[in-house]
Amino acid sequence: MSIFQAVLVALFVYLGSIGSIVGNTIGWYNLGRPLVASFIVGLILGNVPLALELGLLLQLAYLGSVTPGGAMAWDLSYASYIGIAGALVFATDFATAQGFVWIFAGIGGAIGVAMWNLSYALNIFLNRIAQKGADEANPKKMFLANVVGGQTIGFVLRFVPALIILLTISATGGTNVADYIPTWLTQGLTIFGGMMAALGMGILLSFLVKKKVHFAIFMFGFILMAYFSAQITVLAVAVIASIIAFIYYTIVDGQKKQLGGNR
Amino acid sequence: MPKKISEKSLKKAFLTWFFWNGCSQQAESMLGMAFAQTMAPAINDLYGDSKEETSKALKRHLTLFNTEQQVGAICPGIACALEEQRANGLVSDETINSVKVALIGPTSAIGDSMWVATIIPILLTIAMAITKSAGSLGWLGPVIYMIAYPVGTFFLSNFMFKLGYKSGLEGISKFMESGRLDLITESLSILGLIVIGALTASYVSVPFPVQITSIEGGNVLVNFESLLNGIFPKLLPLILTLVVYRLFGKKKWSPMLIMGLILVLAAVLTGLGYIFGVY
Repeated sequence: MSIFQAVLVALFVYLGSIGSIVGNTIGWYNLGRPLVASFIVGLILGNVPLALELGLLLQLAYLGSVTPGGAMAWDLSYASYIGIAGALVFATDFATAQGFVWIFAGIGGAIGVAMWNLSYALNIFLNRIAQKGADEANPKKMFLANVVGGQTIGFVLRFVPALIILLTISATGGTNVADYIPTWLTQGLTIFGGMMAALGMGILLSFLVKKKVHFAIFMFGFILMAYFSAQITVLAVAVIASIIAFIYYTIVDGQKKQLGGNR
Repeated sequence: MPKKISEKSLKKAFLTWFFWNGCSQQAESMLGMAFAQTMAPAINDLYGDSKEETSKALKRHLTLFNTEQQVGAICPGIACALEEQRANGLVSDETINSVKVALIGPTSAIGDSMWVATIIPILLTIAMAITKSAGSLGWLGPVIYMIAYPVGTFFLSNFMFKLGYKSGLEGISKFMESGRLDLITESLSILGLIVIGALTASYVSVPFPVQITSIEGGNVLVNFESLLNGIFPKLLPLILTLVVYRLFGKKKWSPMLIMGLILVLAAVLTGLGYIFGVY
């Protein structure tokens, strides 16, 4: 990895992080998703096919990792970009790369959470600038506090540490570290990756389940897939689910109209 | 002549919110600064001639605010409508403050459950399926997601912002009272729950590497994983997911702590696999 490539990857770590200059819709929920990140890292480092395979691996595990209410679990942007870039530096085949991707994603994700918490604390000072602007009846200071201030802190905390990690990785890369990684570690990390998907699903469930009957609805989707996995795909289940949701809406809406008249 | 926010300022307010809503999140006022910056063009239109009123209005919106920002674009829309009414002497400062506080809960809940927890996983699943099956065209998956998600969300957010501005407080409270919102949320939850169920079954994997082999030949006599899957396929992934749900949702464990637990479990299972000679 050249310095230029490292700078580019670090730049995307920042853009994909929560609250970057391009907004969460284009950044965190898009550039920060492992599948998208893998494609970008693949383009930068010139190995899209392997990067995408690793991206699928991470995306599966982190599918449910959304950040509701600012409760930061894991900096997905850091984890994805550093994880995949690190794996691509150290390995050229999928079998070796999949061990590395978990190691580097772990390092990246942990540092990313620390940086997020730091920015969450440092940004408090910006409130003083904004309050002063309000005292002076100067709306321009809102821009100064929110965008200029917030993004300076955000950029420094994302870009700089990411670049340092990436340059360190690239300096140690090329050595035959892969030979020293024992198979039990790769085996264990692969199992860990498969189990990690439960974290995201469990968190998503906690947002959707509000009554007991919701467990039954969840089980319906689960059983469909678990018993008929040979015949059915997740997409087919999504279509079935949309039909059921639509029928439910129509029926209940109809009942309401009958009961309450046209409100 | 009643005071009005210009079309241009409304557009500017929406774009500020869409791109910069998360720029300066912090523990004190969450999205407060972003909200005030969003309101700035509207405030300028309504109170531009009075320093005192401008200052008061900016302070009103610098207070603590939070929401799921994409669906929650309805909040600055409603706030614009309210400020317009206030400038014309129709609502009080207190109304604006209390409405904003009241919006935090429901808009976060709806945004998180319908957009973040349902639409994003579904779109990503589609993108992953494309990448998996498209072979050398695998890049199509992320590219489709990169276009579909931001563009779709932009239109949704813009729609929500305009909806909030047009219907204002009365429209929104009527809409909420009619129960239609609950019905929409419930229908989308059904969609989300079924999909999450299917995703759990296909993507969560928990091995159970325990087997009994015959002493002489090393033939596998009983493989407990196949045995278990014969009785109830994917039982262990289901249990693990429900345990995570319980720990996160009910016991309020942090995701980091749960991750630590999963790491320990994975280590134990790997160990078992080596002890029983599966790996």
